[in-house]
Amino acid sequence: MNWNAGLPLLILGSSLLPGLVIFFLPEERVATRTTLNLAGAVIKLVLVGVMVWGVFHGHYYETRLPLLPGLDLVLRADALSVLFVTLSSVLWLLTTVYAIGYLEGSPHRSRFFGFFSLCVTATVGVALAGNLITFLLFYELLTLATYPLIVHRGTEVARRAGRSYLIYTVAGGTLLLVATVWLYDLAGSLEFTHRGFVAELVDTHRVALTAVFVLLIAGLGVKAALVPFHGWLPQAMVAPAPVSALLHAVAVVKAGAFGIVRVVYDVYGVTVAADLGVTGPLTILAAVTIIYGSVRALFQDDLKRRLAFSTVSQISYIVLGVAIVGPIATIGGLVHLVHQGVMKITLFFCAGNLAETLGIHKISEMNGVGRRMPWTMAAFTIGALGMIGVPPLAGFISKWYLGLGALEAGQGWVIVVLAGSSVLNAGYFLPVLYAAWFKSPPDGWPAERSFGRSETAWSLLAPPVVTALLTLAAGLLASAPFSPLQWARFITGQEFLP
Amino acid sequence: MNDVLSAFLLLSVPGLPLMLALGLMPPRLRRAAVFLAPWGALPALVVSLWPTPGITLELPWLLIGSRLGLDETARVFLFFTALLWLAASVYTMGYFRCRSSRRRFFTWFLFAMAGNLGLILAQDMVIFYTFFALMSLASYGLVVHEHTLEALRAGRVYIVLAVVGEVLLFAAFALAAVAAGGIEFEAVRPAVAGSQMRDWIVGLMLLGFGIKAGVIGLHVWLPLAHPVAPTPASAVLSGAMIAAGLLGWLRVLPLGETALPGWGGAMIAAGAMAFFYAVLVGLLQSNPKTVLAYCSVSKMGIMTIGVGLGLVAPDNWPFISSAVLVFALHHGLAKGALFLGVGMAATQPVSKRQRNLLIVGLLLPALSLAGAPLTSGMIAKNLMKVQAMSAESPWGDWLQILLPWGSLATSMLMARFLYLVWPRHERASGAQATPKAMWLSWLVLVLAVTLSPWFAPLADEQDHWTMMTMISAFWPVAFGGGLAVCVWLIDRYQWFSWSFKIPSGDLLFIVENRLCSLVAFARLFGFETLPKWRKGFLSGWGRIRDRSGSWSVLDSGENRFALWAVGTTLFLILGMFSVFLAAC
Repeated sequence: MNWNAGLPLLILGSSLLPGLVIFFLPEERVATRTTLNLAGAVIKLVLVGVMVWGVFHGHYYETRLPLLPGLDLVLRADALSVLFVTLSSVLWLLTTVYAIGYLEGSPHRSRFFGFFSLCVTATVGVALAGNLITFLLFYELLTLATYPLIVHRGTEVARRAGRSYLIYTVAGGTLLLVATVWLYDLAGSLEFTHRGFVAELVDTHRVALTAVFVLLIAGLGVKAALVPFHGWLPQAMVAPAPVSALLHAVAVVKAGAFGIVRVVYDVYGVTVAADLGVTGPLTILAAVTIIYGSVRALFQDDLKRRLAFSTVSQISYIVLGVAIVGPIATIGGLVHLVHQGVMKITLFFCAGNLAETLGIHKISEMNGVGRRMPWTMAAFTIGALGMIGVPPLAGFISKWYLGLGALEAGQGWVIVVLAGSSVLNAGYFLPVLYAAWFKSPPDGWPAERSFGRSETAWSLLAPPVVTALLTLAAGLLASAPFSPLQWARFITGQEFLP
Repeated sequence: MNDVLSAFLLLSVPGLPLMLALGLMPPRLRRAAVFLAPWGALPALVVSLWPTPGITLELPWLLIGSRLGLDETARVFLFFTALLWLAASVYTMGYFRCRSSRRRFFTWFLFAMAGNLGLILAQDMVIFYTFFALMSLASYGLVVHEHTLEALRAGRVYIVLAVVGEVLLFAAFALAAVAAGGIEFEAVRPAVAGSQMRDWIVGLMLLGFGIKAGVIGLHVWLPLAHPVAPTPASAVLSGAMIAAGLLGWLRVLPLGETALPGWGGAMIAAGAMAFFYAVLVGLLQSNPKTVLAYCSVSKMGIMTIGVGLGLVAPDNWPFISSAVLVFALHHGLAKGALFLGVGMAATQPVSKRQRNLLIVGLLLPALSLAGAPLTSGMIAKNLMKVQAMSAESPWGDWLQILLPWGSLATSMLMARFLYLVWPRHERASGAQATPKAMWLSWLVLVLAVTLSPWFAPLADEQDHWTMMTMISAFWPVAFGGGLAVCVWLIDRYQWFSWSFKIPSGDLLFIVENRLCSLVAFARLFGFETLPKWRKGFLSGWGRIRDRSGSWSVLDSGENRFALWAVGTTLFLILGMFSVFLAAC
């Protein structure tokens, strides 16, 4: 097996193997576990770096293993998968550092980190999947690997949330499976191909293709939390903060959105999808989700619940960018895949810091917290302003391209949705910032832990600060080489070649 | 070498205040940053006086590719804006006695300064928007600095309108960018003129920038926010930042490209209304800073008229534009000097000499704003009048009648202001001397206002000074002043008394109560009623679910699944499977 065929497998293995080993480590082997975790994350990052460089220079990485007669398990690195793999491996490293600090001294850590690694393995598998069946396998693996993380605390609420998550995602997975089988039956292939592989079926199997598309989007929409399939996401926020962070930024929700991107571009092809007339309804669905999520977020007092509804809204920006059909909107959607991840993970890290350090869970308890935890709240502020779309932060770049793309495609009404969403985002984030920075702190915090001179443990503080800086850099240096925006342009160039 | 130097200079204009603001945050750098904080606007002043014309700097890696540059418009704006910020920063050193309060103030102040100075140099829409947003958001901290109930209310009104303005501008810029196929201002102006979406773009620009520039109806935040901010912040808010809205119009509207009589007429009408309405409301105010804020609304009305004229008569735009620039410069400096003067008058003078100095220092900019002879106000007003006369009817005829009355009204407003701040008492024993930094910065600004008729862009106009212009400048001031004295006498001797007042924020009161109750209703509904309904629905659903036993299978299955040993085994098998696959 040569290097080009082995690299995708190595990237997968760099989190799978440590994960499997960690399962069998006794609870008290903290040092070994930490080393394994961090080593896995760093090695993965290096390997992904090599892959990014290779893909940029036109190298071809593909692992192909026979799975069923006529169907292979394919792991392939194209520009799109590299975008997602890079995002997940960078954020995995940061989340691992965070989780080590967050779970210090709590029980069941081997179980936690084992599933944590599996969860990332599944995400990377989803990203690298070269055909729909491989995608489906890892997508289902992700469902199962995430469940123990959500119910990790073992409380009644956590188990209820886990149950709800399982019902939703297993149902979604079933739809996806049905759609995959049907599609295989129709097309005889499931290989992801630039500009789709069903073009020649459009004339003969219009209705069937439309039905398959609806099934696929419904199946993926459960994880992407499209309204009305979003119900599990706000409940799942009972999970520990690093899990929520990973869930909302890279793993589950993002896998759904990524799946929709794959289906529209590499299964159907965006022009074929537009020809079938399915992108219009998808745009409307995304717009409704954007507004609905924002409105619901306005009325949540629980910080993580507010962030969860914000995710519902923000993930649909990606879907919106895909559904508008046009090169500029595509750039906006793809770049938001990265930007949303970086911004939202910052917010969840910060919410975790507040909960761990001061016992704050509700926005009404956040008065004056900026003075007690300035670095955490500074990071939170950058994340929140980025979500609103304030320049020069990452969110602005996404919104700019989405807006331009919508106008270019002759869908001016989308601008109204974007503007309305920005106002609503401001409506639910600015009061939080106001409370934290301008109100006076109470006499005591709900449950304060002391960390000496610094505001909290460094392993909790460093990740949000780094991601906040990434949020700033992704916007400010959007035109620098290898920025998310440049990479999104690179991908779009391949999809919309004349 | 020269390129490197000019690049460095241009970058330092927004860069230095930005670095100082960031430097104020970590405790270790704080001392040095506070020490340097008053000089944040110095590079900007240097750049505005830099001899080489037309320097630009391409920053292809920044945002989606940016360009900074110094053209003639930018030079004029940068000059008065930088001077004002510099004076206000030095003033701040004396204004705050409490160190932590000063540091807190400087953080917001420097961020807003970076935004304000940066947007002047911006040569494309995205970088302009970035600096504009920085300025708008950071000024919130200035408005609410005192933390009084009034300040918090003003801050709330301000931030709501600022966010709405940002969103409108986003839509306008996106439309303009699609029309132009690029973001550089040079390309955008002609493209907007020929775009199908022209009316949308122009309308959104008028509203979006109009919030900042205090166009009538959108001005309500201005008389609330400008007075409650600490004095140096009021000065820059009302003198410099308000002009950023105007600059936005100059940059993006298709001025001089095409005639838009409808929009031009609307702007002229809105400007004229603001001009008189604000004076009327301002005369009924009893806080000198509020009077000044209304005066700003009124003066921005004239600048709105100027931009409107440019839309009506594109051929005259080069001349109208220089009139508008002169007006902005004049208003910025004079208004800044007056605001700082309010702060000076509040700290009682120590000696008779100081009192006289104070009176002279208040009178000179006030006379200038009223347009008295030999002031920058007269020049600005004359320039505007000449342009107004050359406009087509009906606007030309109208404005000829309106403008002299406007001078009269402004004179009365200035008289009202002077009456309110007039230093009446000698110093109370035990009062502290006014810090030198405040005196110095204020006097420099007053001097700049007084000497400004001899500055470069204004000095050319001196050739046109005749007896007629002097007289026509003199009578409104004299008449307005005389009228004000009469009113004062009536008031003094109680010949007639009235107690009619309009609260600051005027129009806001009509909508504010309704808006507040709407928000309160939405909160109640969202936070209490909806969750109640949801709970009711869920408990009903739960009862149905309990009755059907099928769910218990899933429950017990889940319990078993939660045992992590099962999970591990499962994944071990999976892992071996994948190893097996890899080996094939």
